[in-house]
Amino acid sequence: MEKILYAIPDLCTGCNRCVYVCSAVKEGKFYPSRSRIHINNFSLNGYSVPSICFQCPKPECLKACPQEAIYKDGNDIVLVDRQKCDGCGDCVTACPYGMIEQDEKGLAYKCDYCGGDPACVKECASAAIVYQTKDKAMSKLRALQMKQRIKSGGSSEKRSKIGRKMISLLKS
Amino acid sequence: MNLYAGKMLVVDLSEKRVSVEALRKEWLKEYWGGWGLALRYYWDLVSPEVDPLSPDNALVIMTGPFCGTLVPLTSRLCLVSKSPYTGTVFETNTGGAFGPELKFAGYDGIIIKGRAESLTYLKIINDRVSLENAEALAGEGIFETERMLKEKTGFPEAKTLSIGPAGENIIQYACIGTESYRQMGRGGAGALFGSKKLKAIICRGTGNVKVADMSVFLNKVNEYKETNLLTDANLWAKTDGTPLLVDVINGMGILPTRNYTYGTFENKEGINSDAIKAAKQRDRACSSCPLACGKFTRINGIEIEGPEYETLCLAGSNCEISDMEQIIRFNRLCDDLGLDTISCGNTVGLAMDLAEKGRHDFGLRFGEAEEYLKVISEIATLSTERGKELALGAKRLAEKYRARDLVVEAKGLEYPAYDPRGNYGMGLAYATSERGACHLRAFTAFAEKPFDIESLTRKVVDGQNFNAIKWSMSICDFWGSVSREIMAELLSNGLGDSIKPEDLALAGERIWNLTRLFNVRAGFTADDDVLSEKIMNQPLVKSPHAGRVFKKEEFEKARKSYYQLRGWDDSGIPSTEKLEKLGLSKI
Repeated sequence: MEKILYAIPDLCTGCNRCVYVCSAVKEGKFYPSRSRIHINNFSLNGYSVPSICFQCPKPECLKACPQEAIYKDGNDIVLVDRQKCDGCGDCVTACPYGMIEQDEKGLAYKCDYCGGDPACVKECASAAIVYQTKDKAMSKLRALQMKQRIKSGGSSEKRSKIGRKMISLLKS
Repeated sequence: MNLYAGKMLVVDLSEKRVSVEALRKEWLKEYWGGWGLALRYYWDLVSPEVDPLSPDNALVIMTGPFCGTLVPLTSRLCLVSKSPYTGTVFETNTGGAFGPELKFAGYDGIIIKGRAESLTYLKIINDRVSLENAEALAGEGIFETERMLKEKTGFPEAKTLSIGPAGENIIQYACIGTESYRQMGRGGAGALFGSKKLKAIICRGTGNVKVADMSVFLNKVNEYKETNLLTDANLWAKTDGTPLLVDVINGMGILPTRNYTYGTFENKEGINSDAIKAAKQRDRACSSCPLACGKFTRINGIEIEGPEYETLCLAGSNCEISDMEQIIRFNRLCDDLGLDTISCGNTVGLAMDLAEKGRHDFGLRFGEAEEYLKVISEIATLSTERGKELALGAKRLAEKYRARDLVVEAKGLEYPAYDPRGNYGMGLAYATSERGACHLRAFTAFAEKPFDIESLTRKVVDGQNFNAIKWSMSICDFWGSVSREIMAELLSNGLGDSIKPEDLALAGERIWNLTRLFNVRAGFTADDDVLSEKIMNQPLVKSPHAGRVFKKEEFEKARKSYYQLRGWDDSGIPSTEKLEKLGLSKI
């Protein structure tokens, strides 16, 4: 994998333009609940925490899929073969970050890095979402984010809880 | 429907009933959304003589056509009703993210009627809408109310509109808060919620907004964002935000200081943009805004998004407070308890002046922060005698203490932070605004000739008409370079229709005239379109314009030419021809 996606919560202003553009590109509508990237705003604390798919080296979603509908492409991007997906939702339960979800037909969808040119990155005016080659400091931040794993509850609940944890980590 | 959700939520608190009705499509091309559309709905709902605090009054909350899309700076949410503070029709709007959330829930706006029996909140989870008991939230501040509602409903991503104790106690300059630090500030929207026993609205929306052709629309939005929005005309909002105005307005000599006595503040370094930057933690944005003008600050553990320019002045220079920590504390208390910082700062400044002049001692002194901070919760909770008196607001407080010479207000709404003695256009703008003294109707502070009545009158009329359509698109003030041409083209692309800028110009004028018709029928006359005595009689001090007043005769000349330009008679009543041209003759 040449480039990866990084989220930098300290730079996120909470404008949600990444969310708007992701849904516009993927769904043809402005449809934030179907975005592949999410932002939790903690207005009182002045933080917004982006949730991104980490394209995990050992994806829980992939492991959980009984249909083998989830696979990695040549660039290590985790993708869903929607022909094979039977809508069981096991991947949704398995992802500890709340970053794979089901549409109205039950079929799974997730971030695919827009095939190597992520729309969210271009829309981010504060460089809180960047797509770049690995670097040490950023990888450290990413590792910290990946450590925050929530096993129970729905996707949005997981993201919100992780967001809260991130704020206390950032503050300390 | 493209751009619009196509539905309105109708809430009758007396009947405990919630219903959904189709959006009045026949009004869209005349009023569009936001202010205009809310006003048109409101016009149909009440009689202009209605008592604002009675169950007969209604509130209309409305989004704009671009809300919920990538058109930048268009998430503002407006409320139209009759103000308990001024008795006029008024519009107040807020940033944040409630507007898009409402639209994604499937509604362009909400109509609220009646009065609940006991404290209530409105819960909107897409098409599941209900009225819920809010008695457990009674007396809570806005911050805690937001937290409790999200927890109670189990929707951490939901957005809220709520009031604090000030609104519950029907303080007439109470605001409605959202996203902790953003408000529908002026004119007493919080008192209206309080009078209806409506503590809050919580909304979660997971639907979508459609446009005619997404790729064409995205290209157009991106083009205007890059070539028009993100340019020098607007980027001050990103780098500095409104605190930049402290040095600018001080340089012009119209920064209200010491209860509108001086035009400059000798300790401005304590409250200017550099002082904000020294305390800044992060930039904050409303939904869809790449500028992020909100500056999140922290001093000695006290945090807030802000303070904004108006607060830096009215709770800062105008009270001669230059310690940023104290202003942050003042601002945070107002935001949590639910008071408008402009009205509150003005009222406290007046109380300080009354003590200074030996007319009444409220224990408040210019430059002293301790009591100035204490009095905020006394106002919001009406817990002391002085709290009750300051809760009257500046105009009524001045009437009580025979201090008409010390107060600055129009139609009962205190002046914002630009002294009209050094810019006559601002005086005319304050006097003719539909909701009382306001800088968001016409803004002439940057006019090259600040005393040239002829050019300023034209600027005021044009500014009011332009902002009437801009607020109807729910576009933020800080997209300063947006034009009717840009709005028309974005509408055309979003709707898949052909909209002309001239139609929007006419709509702006129509909306302004409709506010006038309401106020005329509510009993307002030319005698209410006036300046405060202080501005006409007491010369400005410590300013390049020191010695200046805006003389009564000069003001009346300006007002006369304003009425003529508007096509109104000498009493300020729109002519039959004007109303016909605007399609308002049969309304």
